[in-house]
Amino acid sequence: MDILVQTLADGLVIGAFYSLIALGYTMVFGIIKLLNFAHGDLYMLGAFVGYTLLSVLGGDSSGGGLMGILIVLLLTMVIVGVIGMGIERVAYRPLLLAPRLSILITAIGVSLFLENGSMIVWGAQYQVYPLQLSHDGISLLGAKITYVQIGLVFISALLMLGLHLFINRSLYGKAMRAIALDQTACHLMGIHVHKVIGLTFFIGASLAAGAGTMAGAYYGTVNFMMGFVIGLKAFTAAVLGGIGSIPGAMLGGLLLGMMETAGTFIFGGSWKDVVAFSLLIMILVLKPTGIMGEKVTERM
Amino acid sequence: MKKWGSVIVAAMLTLTLTVAGCANQGSSTGGADASEILVGVILPVTGNNATDGKDMQNAIEMAVKKINDSGGVVGKKLKVEVADDGCDPQMATTAANKLVSQNVVAVVGGYCSGATLPSSGVFKNANIPMIVPAANSAKLPAQGYDTLFLINGLTPDQAQTAADYMAANQAKKVVLIHDNSAYAKDLADFAKASVEKSGGTVIAYEAINPEEKDFSALVTKIKGLQPDATYFTGYYAAGGLMVKQFKQKGVSGLFFAGDGSFSEDVIKIAGADNAEGLLITATPTAEFIEGAEAFTSDYKQTYNNLAPGPFSALSYNAVNLLADAIGRANSTDRDAIKKAIKETKDFKALGQTISFNAQNTLDNSNFAVLKVTGGKFTLAK
Repeated sequence: MDILVQTLADGLVIGAFYSLIALGYTMVFGIIKLLNFAHGDLYMLGAFVGYTLLSVLGGDSSGGGLMGILIVLLLTMVIVGVIGMGIERVAYRPLLLAPRLSILITAIGVSLFLENGSMIVWGAQYQVYPLQLSHDGISLLGAKITYVQIGLVFISALLMLGLHLFINRSLYGKAMRAIALDQTACHLMGIHVHKVIGLTFFIGASLAAGAGTMAGAYYGTVNFMMGFVIGLKAFTAAVLGGIGSIPGAMLGGLLLGMMETAGTFIFGGSWKDVVAFSLLIMILVLKPTGIMGEKVTERM
Repeated sequence: MKKWGSVIVAAMLTLTLTVAGCANQGSSTGGADASEILVGVILPVTGNNATDGKDMQNAIEMAVKKINDSGGVVGKKLKVEVADDGCDPQMATTAANKLVSQNVVAVVGGYCSGATLPSSGVFKNANIPMIVPAANSAKLPAQGYDTLFLINGLTPDQAQTAADYMAANQAKKVVLIHDNSAYAKDLADFAKASVEKSGGTVIAYEAINPEEKDFSALVTKIKGLQPDATYFTGYYAAGGLMVKQFKQKGVSGLFFAGDGSFSEDVIKIAGADNAEGLLITATPTAEFIEGAEAFTSDYKQTYNNLAPGPFSALSYNAVNLLADAIGRANSTDRDAIKKAIKETKDFKALGQTISFNAQNTLDNSNFAVLKVTGGKFTLAK
């Protein structure tokens, strides 16, 4: 029982990270049909910006106070969000009407640019986050769950709830949904399409950056290649949930996290990805649009 | 156009020949006279591994100077001739042939196993004894060359060191984790054999993806198995995170890591508190070797406060071993030296006592267990 609860809790933490990153993939794909392969690198960038801010602000092993960490988190999200908007403006907007393949290649170029640029700025070695979070926690049905884990899942849930409300209740959210349906019609209706696309990139990038900073603080190390594998996994999560669907990305991330931990537990560490991806293929065979992907087919 | 091309090629060829001719002349005038013993050194002094190669060269030159200052060997001075193998099989072959043509008496060197495999063959054909201070692929002794001697421990030795320490601490239930790299998997496989030979059981044999950061699922699983010891054979980046996550979940037993994790960074990544008590199997660097304080301070003094590299002490030992063998052979005849090296018995060197077994590798490996105490590595035994 305790191991079952512990495995679920572990899966929830990993899944929360996947979900936050998957949201950016799915939002960008939903609005301009682009697989933004540079998205995982925004997660990496978030981890590094958070690292730099914490180093500058002198966060120490005592944690620098919870408020300090939250301020760094928000600041990082804004900075990387603006970088995300900049990428859209410089690299993607000129290619918006070009064939999809051109913009896809551009995304790979941006990814390489961010990875190697970060390597030049922060170095190729592993950097250690300037704070150590406490291991204290509660015992739940025999499983040990730390306050940090609870905090991580709570902040992730808060961000996702905020995004959900923004998309469904606000005027800009309505504009995003409208552009996803028909860009040309939105132009004709006087919606400022580029501004809304820019906003989408801002939100996607800042969610990834939030995940990056939290992962940096939680795991303790950052490296310029850290966005690569997790970017692929988050992309998988987005496809699993149904790419283009926001609740789908959240669900896909959590599901992938759970499948991985369950796979590790039942079959062993080397089988983790085999199990997770076999399930992915099975789900896609049964439901090619992903779990919550009906909306995509409507849009096509 | 075509004609011009061939003229240029001809001109370049002539130039190359002239330069090569000059180089040959240069080296023959720089060669050994009757009062010197010419020792070849083959190391990567350019390229990616140049730092370690340079550290080794420094230690070799230091040892030679010390020997010469105290009168040399059999009445002659040692003279070093360095060739660059660039850690590359082709460059290594060229470099080895160069040393053979310079008629060296013996060779010290070999850092990358990939480069040492071909160069050891060249020396075998010329019947030149070669003492290898660093390269330690099991493929090297498997060639069966009677001229090749390895004074660094091999992967099975490292696995045995870990298994012995576990057995000495009554750790019976052992978990092995590797990172899917060829090296780490090899070490884990050897460790499995060693643990089972010494009466332990491997209760889990796992692999992780070193590109990832979250090993919580695996750690939870291992915690449930309540191991007496866990041995991670991969590199420091994942090793540090693993140590941290083991401590956070409170997994029972000792935690070992292989020499891929022998780096200050493993303590930094895990956090000093979490790393406390971490055990590492490695060939100790000079600063952890008892009795090597003089070597370390001499080295720093000679080379502008530079700390010795990971293979400096071993390179220093290789030269001293060679000098000792030449002394015992009382001759610079290659067969005599080869025989004397082979007959080395309990030669006391920095951090190791050298005797050779049938494969010309160490009888007693130089692997040791290091323990993290107060945020620093210390010798555990």
